[in-house]
Amino acid sequence: MAQVPLAIVSHKRQVCSLYKRALRNLEAWYDRRDVYRYRAVQLRARFDENCSKDLGEGIRLLACGQRELFETKHFQPRNFANSAGGCAFEREVIPPDWVLDYWHPLEKAQYPEYFAKREQRKKEFVTWWEKQYGKPDPKDLGHH
Amino acid sequence: MSFTQIARSCSRLAATLAPRRVASGILIQSQASRMMHRIAVPSMTSQLSQKFGVRSYSAKSTIEDIKFRVLKVVSAYDKVTAEKECRGRWQTQLVRRYSAKPPLSLKLINERVLLVLKLYDKIDPSKLNVESHFINDLGLDSLDHVEVIMAMEDEFGFEIPDSDAEKLLKPADIIKYVADKEDVYE
Repeated sequence: MAQVPLAIVSHKRQVCSLYKRALRNLEAWYDRRDVYRYRAVQLRARFDENCSKDLGEGIRLLACGQRELFETKHFQPRNFANSAGGCAFEREVIPPDWVLDYWHPLEKAQYPEYFAKREQRKKEFVTWWEKQYGKPDPKDLGHH
Repeated sequence: MSFTQIARSCSRLAATLAPRRVASGILIQSQASRMMHRIAVPSMTSQLSQKFGVRSYSAKSTIEDIKFRVLKVVSAYDKVTAEKECRGRWQTQLVRRYSAKPPLSLKLINERVLLVLKLYDKIDPSKLNVESHFINDLGLDSLDHVEVIMAMEDEFGFEIPDSDAEKLLKPADIIKYVADKEDVYE
């Protein structure tokens, strides 16, 4: 979910993102590394030639670049295995730690040492948290 | 002549004899004598070879000799050398882990990150340090930084989102980020 725009992104970051996506797009089109490097150097030259333009021109060029990237997008881009669209995306689901607190007491009783230590650790964490951030306001406790 | 050969000849002899038990004796005798000949002659030659002192390993060696020879061969096979480490490591593993990742430690991540950075042509390897800032110390611009982050993605095989990438301004940050991602802590 890192790609969801949650804040106003600066122009510089948008240009960097466009550059990265354009390079990955080139990588998808040209699988030979030397051919890809040639195209990548050409792309870099196109970016460098516009780096000293003012912001208004920059915004126009950015929109042009994004449109060009959209038009030349690869039909089957290469993705990393564990990122969205990859072959192993969400293959391994790691349950969060709090799931252990919802075990049945009979299940917990099968691992008495571990759960005793876990309760101890929870107490230590609460003391650490209060030392770090202060006592919680009683108004904030509870749902309402 | 080995036991298996003898056994095979005997079984063939028995097979030839069995269906013709009721038939007339001449044919059986000729067949049987032929088979007997095949059994008898090699054993005679082995007797001859023993008589004339041809070397026969199985006759002379004791259990200790055999044990010693086998252990010598096995220990030579088991000895770990650099050559064997490089190739054929998975052949000697008892359990092959098909989906396991290569082992990572903080030191290995450090070496790999620095190697990737040294091989990047816009970075001067003599100035490179774990704590050197990409933009201030090494003189890269933001597009070069994007290329560095892409090289790290390719090296470690996972995607680094833009929001994280803009915070990775030193090799030490990258090492820490990769270690956190891969759950490496020593």
